Amino acid sequence: MSQPVIRIIDLWKEYRQDGTETPALRGTNLEIRSGEMIALFGKSGSGKSTLFNLIAGLDRPTKGRVEVGGQDLETLGEKGRTNLRRMQLGFVFQFFNLLPTLTAFENVFLSLELANQPTPDVALGALHEVGLEGKERRYPHELSGGEQQRVAIARAIVKRPSLILADEPTGNLDTTTGDQILDLLTRRCRQHGTTLIMATHSPLTCQYANRILRMLDGVIVEETSCEELSR
Amino acid sequence: MKIVTKSFLRYLPRRLSLSLLQLFGVACGVAAVVGMTLAAGTALKSFSKAVEFLRGKATHSMQRPAGPMEEVLLAKLVRDPAVEWLSPVIDRRLRLQNGELVRLLGIDPFLDRRIRPEIARAQLLERNTSNPEQDLSFLLDERVVLVDHELASGLRLTRGTSFQTSKGPLQVAGTFPNPSGEPLLLMEIAHAQGLYELEGTIDRVDLILSNEADFRSRWREGYTIQSSRQRSETFSSMLEAFRLNLEALSLLALFVGVFLIYNTAMFAVVSRRRDTGILRSLGATRQEIVAAFLSEILILGVMGGALGGLLGYFLTRFLTGLIGTSISNLYFFLRPTPSPWSIWIVLTGILLGCGAGLLGGAVPLLEVVRTDPIKALSGRTASRESTRKAQRSALAGLFILGISLILFLLPDTHIYVAFAGIFGFVIGVSLLTGVGLVGISPAVRWTLYHLGRLPGKVAADNIRQNLGRTAVAIAAFMVALSMSIGLGVMIGSFRQSLIWWMDTQLQGDLYIGRVGEAEVPEEFFEKLRGMPGLGGVHPYRNVQILYRNTPIYISAVDASVLQRYTRFGWLKGGNENWELVKRGGAVISESFSRRFGVQSGDPIVLEGIHGPAELKVRGIFYDYTTEHGLVMMDRFTFIKIFGDRTINNIGIFIDRDNPRREELLAQVKQSALDRGLPVQTQNQLRAGILEVFDTTFAVTRSMRVLAIVVAFFGIAGALLTLFMERRREFGIYRALGFSTGQVAQMTLLEGLGMGLVSFLLSMGVGTLLAVLLIKVINLRSFNWTIFYYPAIEPYLLTAVTAIVSSVGAAAYPIWKVCRTYPQMQIREE
Repeated sequence: MSQPVIRIIDLWKEYRQDGTETPALRGTNLEIRSGEMIALFGKSGSGKSTLFNLIAGLDRPTKGRVEVGGQDLETLGEKGRTNLRRMQLGFVFQFFNLLPTLTAFENVFLSLELANQPTPDVALGALHEVGLEGKERRYPHELSGGEQQRVAIARAIVKRPSLILADEPTGNLDTTTGDQILDLLTRRCRQHGTTLIMATHSPLTCQYANRILRMLDGVIVEETSCEELSR
Repeated sequence: MKIVTKSFLRYLPRRLSLSLLQLFGVACGVAAVVGMTLAAGTALKSFSKAVEFLRGKATHSMQRPAGPMEEVLLAKLVRDPAVEWLSPVIDRRLRLQNGELVRLLGIDPFLDRRIRPEIARAQLLERNTSNPEQDLSFLLDERVVLVDHELASGLRLTRGTSFQTSKGPLQVAGTFPNPSGEPLLLMEIAHAQGLYELEGTIDRVDLILSNEADFRSRWREGYTIQSSRQRSETFSSMLEAFRLNLEALSLLALFVGVFLIYNTAMFAVVSRRRDTGILRSLGATRQEIVAAFLSEILILGVMGGALGGLLGYFLTRFLTGLIGTSISNLYFFLRPTPSPWSIWIVLTGILLGCGAGLLGGAVPLLEVVRTDPIKALSGRTASRESTRKAQRSALAGLFILGISLILFLLPDTHIYVAFAGIFGFVIGVSLLTGVGLVGISPAVRWTLYHLGRLPGKVAADNIRQNLGRTAVAIAAFMVALSMSIGLGVMIGSFRQSLIWWMDTQLQGDLYIGRVGEAEVPEEFFEKLRGMPGLGGVHPYRNVQILYRNTPIYISAVDASVLQRYTRFGWLKGGNENWELVKRGGAVISESFSRRFGVQSGDPIVLEGIHGPAELKVRGIFYDYTTEHGLVMMDRFTFIKIFGDRTINNIGIFIDRDNPRREELLAQVKQSALDRGLPVQTQNQLRAGILEVFDTTFAVTRSMRVLAIVVAFFGIAGALLTLFMERRREFGIYRALGFSTGQVAQMTLLEGLGMGLVSFLLSMGVGTLLAVLLIKVINLRSFNWTIFYYPAIEPYLLTAVTAIVSSVGAAAYPIWKVCRTYPQMQIREE
């Protein structure tokens, strides 16, 4: 059996607010293998984004361990974690988070530049792959929501990361567009063997995932199907 | 260029109006520093050049401690083995018909050629071989002068033309080049003696000595011998306090400029938090993001600095004239020429702009480094965080205020320490602004609600919720307004103190003669003294001497007249102090007492014509005639010590109840005018003094205005940024039913609210600043006490400035609202 891409061991994250400690994650454990497509369900405030931030090394746990690609994030240090996000991780956000002063092409190329692979053709290719030929020079405010999310996906996939974290990727899109986006994202990940974790509310996501998880009171619970979720 | 950097720099053209506001703000700050530094440097350089030119090649100068020297001494000096060369000099002032006061140097052209060879060369160049008689007119004709090129050109004088002066008409024998900044006339020494009725006397001798120690051993008693270096130092020390205050004004302007850049950089950091979070999540390092910000700050610094350098050059032309006038009024007549254009002015501006950018950007860049990408991405406005940050800043502010207080309380420190305290005070209170805004926000809410109902309430909440932006802009504006109040109250208090001082000392009905310009013949004084009906005829002599190698002033007075007719402001006691002055004591000014640590009852030793003379100090009085210190003694004592019978000025006192009062005054006035002596009434004299005072502070007033202009750009930038970042909110307002008018009103009230808060905070800070300027800076700079006179005008003026500026700053955002609001919708990104 292949080494897990992500291993989470007894992970805790507590936030201090008004003098009291509020746990967002309570001793979560998880293993994710290479190439898995995971849908992570949970209500707002259940800890999904917290988990993503910890996996990406943007935040540090109160207790426990996160291993990505076999490496303990804590031992990597800030430089190592930054490198991880550059080389091995792709992010897709609910509100797209494109840089408003960069064109669609530049937003994608930025990813390559940070990964030290500044090849314009690759960036162009990624944009074409997501169906945005001819729109390379447009700024985010000149694109529709769906188009912006495609740019965000292109930005995430262009550097061939081993893992993509998609935080509510269709949360800001209509059903049809959302469907298209999920199809694009999962197809692309399947093609390159990229592990994909999607935090979501939408049951739509179930059909694109081969593993379903639920965040419940700061702990991840394995579900077998979407029907079980609705029960 | 890296994409990370590009993503930041593109904001500059994208938010062009904001970028331009920020650019002009930086430019104004740099312009103020460049303008002030260049102008002050030019004026002081002119001063040094004038001193150097007058000194020529002389190694030493020799004169009596006070008053003119006897001409017969020259014969002894010529035979002195240590004297290589000498040149006797008459050094006086002459008032021209246009009111200008110029220096007239009486020289022997043959003796002076080794001391001031440029003048001798100029005389040679002026030789008219076709009319040799004209060449000799300088030597032979009594009322003939050489005029410096610039003065001649200004007065449209050429060889052979005449011009009017207070001493009658003079004819131009020729012109000469004068590299110094001082207008100068040259006259043959014997004719100068005749012009000033100084037959048999000269003012000083300029010497080239081969052995200073040897010479001093023979001429120690009764003479003041100064080396050229000492003389230069004496002149420089005259301007010391003035120079320091000019420096402080420059630094003030730079401080406001740095604050504006800090303002600008903070806006950028706060408004780019989300971008920073995105970049961090994509794998950009902190260093790359800091580098991108730094590029933005430096671009503004370079462009703003270059523009500022250019504006500063033009400002110099205005300020040089003002500073020259102030120096002329107070110390030494000067006509400084503005600096010529040089590319270095722009390069200096760029350097200043970049330096100010780095200084102002340091804390915001630290903010960038510490930005939590998760919070940045979540888009939380973190108002609670802003409040915590404001509290932390307030703690830092209190700490800095504590240090400033210590600096103020330290005794006997250099004025720079006091200046550091002032800047610490300003920085400290700026850091307290956030907390001040939080504290004052209920009052602001109440006010804006009553001004504008619902839009007013929303406006007040917006100011409070966007603390990260509004606090910084309010702090910058508050600092500028505080400076306006502080300087206004200080200047007003100084003016009132001066008026009070004039009430104590200037009680004469008429003043005949002018110090440094026209002397009163002693026989005229005796004639007036013998005139029946006059209550008091007061002979006044004022002369600069050296005391402990430092220039001070001595005044010779008639103690009886002053005792009867004036009410001096004494630090201790009253007019009974004059009794001991009549018996050979002296009274000193407060500045003398502080400067030299001399108290009532202490002895002082002055170098007289018979050697050292000890006087006991009998009292200390408040005085603003000179910051160098003044010693006042009875005329009898003065003549005994210095042998100088010169009278600069006569004060005429006539009892109020004298029925012949008007007739007597007219008689005296006519008598003086018949002798060509200037006459002033008490009111005219006072008005003249106040005019000098007002001119002197013109520079300070200019800097006040500039500081307000710079801060205006800051507040305009803040309002525009608030508008740009809240488009989504505007979409929500529109969806909820707010009209364009209401949103425009909201924008106006935000501006007004910020202006009001700035003004309210500045009232306290400005008053404290005034107290510090009066009680600390003035005291340490000039060694005199200014009394604090509370006045409403600076506050009213500042209130109007605050309201007009903040409403003006809101004008452009309001225009944008009216233009774009009807199309706004709620859109994600």
